[in-house]
Amino acid sequence: MAVTQAIFYLFATVLVVAALMVITARNPVHSVLFLVLSFVNGAGLFLLAGAEFLAFTLILVYVGAVMVLFLFVLMMLDINLQRMREGFLNYLPLGAVIAFVLVVEMGAMLAAGGSGAVVGGDGALGGTEAGNTTLLGRVLYDTYLLPFEVAALVLLVALVAAIALTLRHRPDVKKQDPGQQVRVRREDRVRLVDMPTEGAPYAPDTGATGSKGGEG
Amino acid sequence: MISLGHYLVLGAILFAIGVMGIFLNRKNVITLLMAIELILLAVNLNFVAFSQHLDSLAGQVFVFFILTVAAAEAAVGLAILVLFFRNRRSIDVDDINYLKG
Amino acid sequence: MDLPVWIADYALPVAWITVQIVALVAPLMLAVAYLTVVERKLIGYMQLRVGPNRVGPRGWLQPIADGLKLLLKESIFPTQANKGVYIVAPLLSIGPALLAWAVIPFGPTYQTPFGEVTPVIAEVDVSLLFLLAVTSFGIYGVIMAGWAANSKYAIIGSMRAGAQMISYEIAMGFALIGVIMAANTLNIGEIVVAQSGGFWHWYFLPLLPLFVVFFISGVAETNRLPFDVSEGESEIVAGFHVEYAGMTFALFFLAEYANMILVSILTALLFLGGWHPPLPVAPFTWIPGPVWLLLKTALFLFFFLWFRATFPRFRYDQIMRLGWKVFIPVTLVWITVIGVANLTPLRAVFH
Repeated sequence: MAVTQAIFYLFATVLVVAALMVITARNPVHSVLFLVLSFVNGAGLFLLAGAEFLAFTLILVYVGAVMVLFLFVLMMLDINLQRMREGFLNYLPLGAVIAFVLVVEMGAMLAAGGSGAVVGGDGALGGTEAGNTTLLGRVLYDTYLLPFEVAALVLLVALVAAIALTLRHRPDVKKQDPGQQVRVRREDRVRLVDMPTEGAPYAPDTGATGSKGGEG
Repeated sequence: MISLGHYLVLGAILFAIGVMGIFLNRKNVITLLMAIELILLAVNLNFVAFSQHLDSLAGQVFVFFILTVAAAEAAVGLAILVLFFRNRRSIDVDDINYLKG
Repeated sequence: MDLPVWIADYALPVAWITVQIVALVAPLMLAVAYLTVVERKLIGYMQLRVGPNRVGPRGWLQPIADGLKLLLKESIFPTQANKGVYIVAPLLSIGPALLAWAVIPFGPTYQTPFGEVTPVIAEVDVSLLFLLAVTSFGIYGVIMAGWAANSKYAIIGSMRAGAQMISYEIAMGFALIGVIMAANTLNIGEIVVAQSGGFWHWYFLPLLPLFVVFFISGVAETNRLPFDVSEGESEIVAGFHVEYAGMTFALFFLAEYANMILVSILTALLFLGGWHPPLPVAPFTWIPGPVWLLLKTALFLFFFLWFRATFPRFRYDQIMRLGWKVFIPVTLVWITVIGVANLTPLRAVFH
C-alpha cells in the first residue's frame, strides 16, 4: 500500500501548495489557474477515497463551469493591479497566526479523539454488483428526494438571479428574429409598378467616344 | 494505509489556508470568493473521508448538495460583483459599504 | 515464473500501460497528420480543384512537410505576454484532447490465452462522465491562449470560443444523458453492447434528435466551420492562436484534429452501434469489429470535412441562439420522452 500512500501525499502536497499560491498570487488570473489545480488534486483525493462520481462531477461542475465563470468575470473587469497589493502585508501576521491556531486546534482535537483505519466496502462505495454512481443515484432519488428538488430550485433561482441582475437593455440594439424572417411573403416585399417610358429609346454610341472616355 | 486522520488534517490545513485568504485579500473580492471555494473544498474532503470511514452514502449526498449551492453562490456573487464594478469601478472589499443605505 | 515483487507488481503493469499508450497515441498522431491532407484534398475536389499534389506521390507526404515546417519554425514569444501561461496554454489544449482517448474502447472483450482482454486503456465504469469532465477541461487552453498573448485579436477570439464551447458543452451533455438513460450505464463498452443486433437496435433511430444535436454540438465544440467564428480566418486573423507559431501552434492544431476524431468516434460508439455490423449476417460479420468502428468514424470525419467545404460561417449571435434556444430545449424535451418511454413497455426499444 506504499504506492497509495505515495499518491495521497503527492496529491495532498500539490493541493496545499496550489492553495497557498491561490491566496498569494499577484495576478488574479494566476490565482484562478492555481485554484483549478487545487480542484484537480482534490478530485484525485476524492478518487482515492472511493467517491468516483463526485470526483468527476467536481471537475465537470467546478473546474468546467464555475472557474470558467471566474475567468470570464476577471477578464471583463479592468483591475488595477497596483492598488490591489496595498495592505497585503498589514494583515499577514494576524492571518498567519489565526490560521496556525486553527490548524493546531483541529489537529489536537483529531489526535485526542483517535482515528481508526478506513473501512471501505460495498455499503457506500460500490462493490461489483452496483457501482458508486448507481448507489448514489438510488439514495438521491429515494431517501433524499426532497432536498434534491430543493437543490434544483436553488439552482433555478441562482440562474434567474444572475441573468436578472446583469442583463442590460441597450436601446439601440437591432436583433433578428429568424422565425419572422422565414415567414416573409413576396407580396409584402415586392410590388411591380407599371410606368410609361420617358424620352426616346436608348441608342448605343459608336466606338470612338466610348473607349476614350473610359481612360483615367 | 491512508487513515481517516490524514484526510481530516489535510482538510483542516485547507480550511485554514482559506480563512487566511479571506484575511489577506482585502483589496480583491474575486480572490475572496476563491478563498471561500477553498474552504468549501476542505469541507467536501472531510465529508468524503467520513463517508468512506463510516461506510455510508450520506456524506457523498451532502457533498453533492454543497457543490450545487457553491456553484449557485459563485454565480450570484459574481453577478453582484459585476454590477458593483459597473457602478463603482473598483473591486475593493472596503468600498462595498457603499451598498448599504 | 516467479518474478520479484517489485517487477510483478509495479514495473510490469507500468510497462504494459506504456505500451498501450504508445500503441494508441502513435497511430492517432499519424491519423491526425493524414487527416489534414485528406481534408485539403477532399475540400479541393469538392471545389473542383486538386488538393496538394506536389510532395510525394500524389501529395501523400504533405503532412511530413507540414510537420517539418512547424518543428523548424521559430516560436514567437511576445514581450508583453504572460510567459508562464503562454507556454502552458497549448498544453492545456492538447492534454485533455489526448487524455479523453484513455477510455475509448476499440472493440469487444476478446478471449485470449492471457485471459479476457478489452481493447481500452482504462476500463472505468464511469467512462462517459470522465469524458464529459475531460472535454470541459479543454476550454482552458483556448481562454488562456487568448489572454496570455496580450493581443486584441486573441482576446476577442478566445472570449468567443470560450463562450461558444461552454454553451455547446451543455447541449452535448444533455444528449449524452439521453444515451445514458437509454442504456442504463455510464460505461461506453456496455452502451455499445446494448446496441447489439442489427442496425435497428442502434441508438440513432430512437434517439434521432439527440444524435443530430450531439454531432452538431461536437462540430461546435471543436470550433470547426460553420462554427469557427473564434478563429474566423477572414475576420480576426486566426483568433485565439494568432500569436502562436511553430511548435506551439502545432500543438493547438493537433488538439483540434484529435478532438475532431474523438467526437467522430464517440458518435460512432454511442449512436451507431460502435463495432457492430449493420446486419448480423454472414458477409458483414467477416469484417472484424474494430474495422467497422473505424469505418463509421471515417464517415463522421467525412461529414466534418463536408461541412467545412459547404457551409458559410455562422455569426456569433446566431451560434449562441442555436446553442441555447434550439439545442437545449430539443434535448430537454427528448430526455422527457425517453424518461416516459422507459416506464412504458416501449422500453424494449432501448434494452
